[in-house]
Amino acid sequence: MISITEMVAEAHATGDYMPLIELIPYAQVIGVNCERFGEEMVFRLPRNPDNLGNPTLPAIHGGVIAAFMELSAAFQVLLQTTTPELPKIIDFSVDYMRAGLDRDTFAMCQLERRGRRVTNCSVIAWQEKRTEPIATARAHFLVKPTDS
Amino acid sequence: MRNPEIEARCQRFMDALAHIRKLGLRVIQADERRVTLVLPVQDQLNTGKTNTYLLGGALTTLIDTASAVSTLCVLPEFEIAPTLDLRIDHMKAPTHSQPLYIQAECYRTTRSVMFTRATVYQTSVDDPIAFGIGTFMRLGADVVDPQMKALVEGDIDGDTGVSTEKGAQA
Repeated sequence: MISITEMVAEAHATGDYMPLIELIPYAQVIGVNCERFGEEMVFRLPRNPDNLGNPTLPAIHGGVIAAFMELSAAFQVLLQTTTPELPKIIDFSVDYMRAGLDRDTFAMCQLERRGRRVTNCSVIAWQEKRTEPIATARAHFLVKPTDS
Repeated sequence: MRNPEIEARCQRFMDALAHIRKLGLRVIQADERRVTLVLPVQDQLNTGKTNTYLLGGALTTLIDTASAVSTLCVLPEFEIAPTLDLRIDHMKAPTHSQPLYIQAECYRTTRSVMFTRATVYQTSVDDPIAFGIGTFMRLGADVVDPQMKALVEGDIDGDTGVSTEKGAQA
């Protein structure tokens, strides 16, 4: 079994986060990637015709936007805690503000509270301006404490 | 009681969505109030290297889609109804060697808003993997998307019915 902790350390060292993203199949299906800017992680969902819902707008499928945000939150928790396992989602809530058009989408996450077992994370997703989000979300994850 | 017309309409709606075609999501049954869909087991969702959170994200798309489709069961004809919000509770991890089923119901419709609830399960609806509740905004009769409406109502063929006419944007 691969060590998640080692993978996280390796990703932080090299700046290549794709091996972590490849742990979750659906993240690859929709094409999530991420980049680190100093201490901040920015997640990106590149424009992809396979992610479209309504064909006449055209707009990204709402479920894909929500899934992108949920997966971003999961990766943020994974990267910011030293958990030996992938975080387990407990609940997730998303508010949609604007249609996600057929272009790149970005997300940033914030850990609002890190408990011993549960972590609360908020997510904001945008396309043109971060001050004009297409959606906001929050999630709770069960995070296995580090063995000590 | 199953309603073949509603089932066909729900399937036409899903077939119009590129991402849903990619996932191969299908209608199992539908009536005037609720719909049941299946997400088949597929290689693209089975490439994980760990045992936890394998279907992470995919459940969210499944619940979002089924909730939207349940609003089609209730409405007399297709309307643009953007999702306002969606909340999902995850009860247990799914088994990735089995298909995922979802039953979604639009349980209340007002002039402006539609309320939905959905249950994801594998063996029985009484043994849920996740619950989702959603709200959808009705934009009214003056906001229309003629091409999407024609696709959903079966008036044009999804593959050939390319029209230059575009509906008002939400």
